[in-house]
Amino acid sequence: MEDYLPNEYDVVVVGTGMTESIVAAAASRIGKKVLHLDSDEYYGGLWATFNFDGLQKWIEDLKVSKTSTKDVSEVDLESEETFLKTSNEYSTVENIEETWYISNDADLPVVSSKDTQTDSTGDGSGSGDEKSDDDKVEKKENVKQWSIDRIRKEYRKFNIDLAPKLLFARGELVELLISSNIARYAEFRAVSRVATFMDGKLTQVPCSRADVFANKTVSVVEKRMLMQLLTSCMEQGADSPEFDGFRDKTFLEYLNTKNLTPIVQHYVVQAIAMATEKTSCRDGVNRTKHFLNSLGRYGNTPFLWPMYGSGELPQCFCRLCAVFGGVYCLKRQLDGVVIHKNKCKAIISGKQKISLEHLVLGQGHLPPEVVTSEGEQRISRGIFITDRSIMQGEKENLTLLYYPPEQPDQEPVTLIELGPSTNACPQGLFMVHMTCKRTTNAKEDLAYVVNKFLKAEPLDPLAIRSSIHSHTQTVSPDKRHIQEGDQDNRGESTEESPKPQVLWSLYLNLPASDIKLNESTPSNLHLCSGPDLELDFDFAVNQAKSIFESMYPDKDFLPRAPDPEEIVLEGEEAPGPKFEGDTEAEEKQDVEKAEKED
Amino acid sequence: MEDYKFLFKVVLVGNAGVGKTCLVRRFTQGLFPPGQGATIGVDFMIKTVEVENEKVKLQIWDTAGQERFRSITQSYYRSAHALILVYDISCQPTFDCLPDWLREIEEYASNKVLRILVGNKIDREDREIPTHVGEDFAQRHGMYFLETSAKEAENVERLFMEIAAELMEQARSKELPRYETNTTSINGKTTSIGDTSNCGCSRLS
Repeated sequence: MEDYLPNEYDVVVVGTGMTESIVAAAASRIGKKVLHLDSDEYYGGLWATFNFDGLQKWIEDLKVSKTSTKDVSEVDLESEETFLKTSNEYSTVENIEETWYISNDADLPVVSSKDTQTDSTGDGSGSGDEKSDDDKVEKKENVKQWSIDRIRKEYRKFNIDLAPKLLFARGELVELLISSNIARYAEFRAVSRVATFMDGKLTQVPCSRADVFANKTVSVVEKRMLMQLLTSCMEQGADSPEFDGFRDKTFLEYLNTKNLTPIVQHYVVQAIAMATEKTSCRDGVNRTKHFLNSLGRYGNTPFLWPMYGSGELPQCFCRLCAVFGGVYCLKRQLDGVVIHKNKCKAIISGKQKISLEHLVLGQGHLPPEVVTSEGEQRISRGIFITDRSIMQGEKENLTLLYYPPEQPDQEPVTLIELGPSTNACPQGLFMVHMTCKRTTNAKEDLAYVVNKFLKAEPLDPLAIRSSIHSHTQTVSPDKRHIQEGDQDNRGESTEESPKPQVLWSLYLNLPASDIKLNESTPSNLHLCSGPDLELDFDFAVNQAKSIFESMYPDKDFLPRAPDPEEIVLEGEEAPGPKFEGDTEAEEKQDVEKAEKED
Repeated sequence: MEDYKFLFKVVLVGNAGVGKTCLVRRFTQGLFPPGQGATIGVDFMIKTVEVENEKVKLQIWDTAGQERFRSITQSYYRSAHALILVYDISCQPTFDCLPDWLREIEEYASNKVLRILVGNKIDREDREIPTHVGEDFAQRHGMYFLETSAKEAENVERLFMEIAAELMEQARSKELPRYETNTTSINGKTTSIGDTSNCGCSRLS
């Protein structure tokens, strides 16, 4: 049975993605009556974060078409009204490919006495403390080796992002969260290192002044060079005369005139500006400035990651919308929109016709009639559960890596590696997210980076076993397997820096975020794009701001919401709430009362 | 630093109209009924109580109406220390929905969260759910159980005081749901937990 909703609103928002949710919160905050719908049973649309089970359901559901079957003839229209059916074709996810690289419990080798023996001989011949420690852990964990069943069983401990995004510490979203007081709904973890691939290996990029000066790979002269360059980007910005001659040139062309050493140039281009050969000087300088601006606010790097995943953030805005009276209804399909004299007059949802002043639509709910271009900025994504970090350190890290293309036909890839402390995965595992612009399909687009940093081959214990005996193709190339007679692939954990083994992977292509509407689109219909290619949420925040401005040009955009302490409630006689500080008498009474009751 | 030793987040769930907001208002303000308009803009309520001579600050979160069409955000459940599941003893459907709520709780709340089942509105004379039925349900699902009346202020104080005492006990024996304490809270305050004397939260602004 369908829930009956009130029939009239100022603003109807369909889709709970980032932009939609910000607009919903902003409208509700200034007292507009808001209805916020989503056809899915979860928040976030393509911005969602799922636990492992939820992700499996999501993949299953993609196979089922959700497009409305409603026919125009079923819609009760008045004269001069037209009905446009909405379509989900602009939020189509393609090329889903899920792969397991590990086995089910049942297929794991039984721990035989021989294996145990092997372990103990390993212990005996252990060359160092580290080794024997490892073995102890292995023994204990033996039964608890990662299997498909175990990952499924621990599904709640995963938070898997469809569109992982970071926040610049002084970016649009952080400022908005603070100024609107929505920050209280979320928690963050600072990205602990920015990595770059240089001279055949991954290194941590020195981000702060202290880092730069502590760095041993850069000489004193280079350090001065770097600081000078960064200062000119930071203090003067792209409009400075310093960059006058480079208006039409690339960032690289500018840097080439600065006689930087290769290392310094590498840091600036690949890690700080995250630029390619094509990046314009202006963009490069602005990106550098953005990076530097955000340094030193929280943690070692300019970036924050939302705890429990990016999908939490749209929900924070939804919560605020609800707190200010917004009505929420998930699992509610939008069938179409009713147009009257080039204005959106109402939506049709189920049996209801709901009237509105403004209609805000996520890109998965557009009538094809208003779309002129599907956009080109399509996204390739890869998600990997791995058994260790791409760059092992003493403590758990949250790593950002920008990897530039190796070949002209490749796209730069952004890699975010999350550990258990972000709640992305259980202890002992890591979650790697890769994102790039789509050229072919996700798997092909990302292959060059996957092969560089991960071991994405099946980890079949039986296969490894047989390969050792036959001395043919060995999945794990280290000789210790044979030397120590260790018939277990886990022996490789003592290797210097083995690539993380992929336990599970998912590839998918997300739709373009730069979809365009045609000029005859009703002016009170507002489009919210899906996730974009940028690292952060700025695009969504800015889009939401401009939508809100076009709806309510004279109103404040998300003014600060009061803290509970600041709200004077109706019927309350005291001038202010009495929660804090001077409440001792009150509390004592409470305690006494409670004691009596006990 | 504010003057309290412990800060706990308590969240309420349950069908619309079972009296969640009334329970919160009765406890924090001593008011009933809370008045409709007042709910707008109120996010959570705070009350500091004293348990065994220690100040305990309770942050009590209400659903903001999102339960009406079963659309509570997952993030609502994050970092909760206690969860109060409320039904109306005079309304069978609100009791029948409890398994649905439990499923949602299982999915999103920490599995160590303290759970309390509350049958509200015992002032009503048209009771549909006998006390022992509620009790049985709570027992089967490892929950504490209490019947209350927000209207008559019956057991409301006790409900929250017992939660405060139990959470403090757990905090002392370190059984509290462990939420990451090194997270960054970007408004200069922290909504994460616990014993503030050794909380590792970054208090940045």
